[in-house]
Amino acid sequence: MTADPSSSETSARERYPWLNSFLDGWAIFKQSLLGQIGLTLLIIFALMAICSYIPPLINPMYNPMTGVDPDISTCTPPSWRHWLGTDFMGRDIFSQLLAGARIAFMVGVSAAVMSVVLGTAIGMTAGYMGKFMDTLLMRMADMIMVMPTLLFVLIISSVFGQLNIWTIVIIIALFRWPGVSRMIRGQTLSLKHRPFIEAAKMAGAGHFRIIFRHIMPNVLPLAFLFMTFRVTSAIIIEASLAFLGFGDPGTVSWGMMLQWVWKTGYMFKAPYWLLPPGICISLITLSFYMLGRAMDEVLDPRLRKEDQTD
Amino acid sequence: MELRKYILRRLAQITVIFFVILTVLFLLFRLAPGDPVSRMVDPDMTPEDSERLIVQLGLDKPLGVQYLIYLKNFFKGQFGYSFHYGEPVVDIIWARLPNTVLLFTTGIILSALVGIFLGKIASWYKGKKTDSIMTVGALVTHTLFLPWLALILIWIFAYKFSWFPINGMISEEVWLDPDNGFITKALDVLYHMVLPLSTLFLIHFGAYLLIMRSAMLETLKEDYILTARAKGLDEKMIRNKHAAPNAALPVVTSVGLSLAFSINGGALTETVFTWPGIGRELVFSVSQNDYPLAQASFLLIAIVVLLANLVVDVLYAYLDPRIRY
Repeated sequence: MTADPSSSETSARERYPWLNSFLDGWAIFKQSLLGQIGLTLLIIFALMAICSYIPPLINPMYNPMTGVDPDISTCTPPSWRHWLGTDFMGRDIFSQLLAGARIAFMVGVSAAVMSVVLGTAIGMTAGYMGKFMDTLLMRMADMIMVMPTLLFVLIISSVFGQLNIWTIVIIIALFRWPGVSRMIRGQTLSLKHRPFIEAAKMAGAGHFRIIFRHIMPNVLPLAFLFMTFRVTSAIIIEASLAFLGFGDPGTVSWGMMLQWVWKTGYMFKAPYWLLPPGICISLITLSFYMLGRAMDEVLDPRLRKEDQTD
Repeated sequence: MELRKYILRRLAQITVIFFVILTVLFLLFRLAPGDPVSRMVDPDMTPEDSERLIVQLGLDKPLGVQYLIYLKNFFKGQFGYSFHYGEPVVDIIWARLPNTVLLFTTGIILSALVGIFLGKIASWYKGKKTDSIMTVGALVTHTLFLPWLALILIWIFAYKFSWFPINGMISEEVWLDPDNGFITKALDVLYHMVLPLSTLFLIHFGAYLLIMRSAMLETLKEDYILTARAKGLDEKMIRNKHAAPNAALPVVTSVGLSLAFSINGGALTETVFTWPGIGRELVFSVSQNDYPLAQASFLLIAIVVLLANLVVDVLYAYLDPRIRY
């Protein structure tokens, strides 16, 4: 063994296969301009979310929900004291915007993780079990798929009153799994009769072990891809709900900010208040979307080749 | 023949789905914490009237009987009285339905047609400037937050330039004037429709463009395209007559799959523009705790979505003779 400067890296690559595939994927991802832009934007939003804890520490008047500038009691344009001005009660718009980033990540990521976990589990079960179970689960998926989620959440909130942000997240997750489970089911069906599954069966593995030990690792990349698309839809649903006035009254989300500017009639007077939350919702959706498309290219070699041929 | 069988099967499936939705709504309104009577009977009613309504809705009976009465009332078209308007709910939602159908179908069809057309062009200029501009434009407009886009359009085109009305569907003075004929009234509605329609269009066409573009690129790799080229057909012919009709099929599928998403957007658009449609009525009734109206509006929207899904499926089966179910 000669002392090769890259030997430590190669051995690490050999020792951890997942690291290997991650690095390969990253190499492809790096070539995608969309993915780069998306990732950069997301890092900025993540920084915003982290920084949202700072303003209230500097001065209690920067608290996005309860902090009111003692000298201001109405909507004012941007100034040194308030970088994006203040809202109708004299609250700082910039710190609300930062807090909104935190809520967007919280809602988006947790709803996406929940719906993808649910969708993957259901999809694998339906695909692997087949027959009655498959029909039952897939008909259920069809049924939920045609339901307008936002309007159904509205109906629920009409019966139960104001919904807590976590309730909203859970309802979104319960309604967004069918798309995931359809794809995962298809993937599972194609895996089911492969030799390695037969081999596992021969070796006496139970259904549970086959599903989680042998099928799951093979469908996880696909599930992960779906996660980014589910994040966008969850953020949009929460923002729309808040915009219509049915959000969690205890949180400051971007949708909530738009609801305030719309309902208090400052829409035409205060562009510094109307523009930022809308731009943020649109951009965070766009960046998750771009990230998803770039990851699509990493996972699906057919898409990669598209740009090289003719 | 087979097509008819397929339609009948889809119709049966849709009926089952609808019954499930009907049942879920029933359970939701009867079993949620709180008093179901207060959700069904207007608190402002006189005691005698409310007593009569309780008997009519069967709220004094056991749950199973209530369910049967609920189904019977549904088929007789009795949804009770709106708390807010004090009128029968059916009358209100029937009056709103055409407005929603007008705005929504125009919006979806327009964006699908333009999306297909532009996607075709983008795929043809793949890798060139035209393609990049279109793809990026489609991505950006598709991910805009709908209510915000609506507010921005109102701000610019209705407030700053006063080119279009800020909200509503008709101008009273035009409709009350007996001298105005049908054409003037229709033009007035169209004038009010420009901004809500633009909102729906801008949000939706991008998705169809992107799907059409990638479907076109896939189709152009097919053997029959090679054959067409070998026959010496000109490129325009190949693109429009051979590739495009096949590539448009996934767009039709995606219109169906995204219907639920689009109807959410439709409700938001109606709300921001105070377009007197069923979506706005649902949002409004929920905020007013007008339960009978909320319930009926949701059911009607569910019917619209399910029927629209059926139309898309039939259209697909009709457009693609290779597929018979």
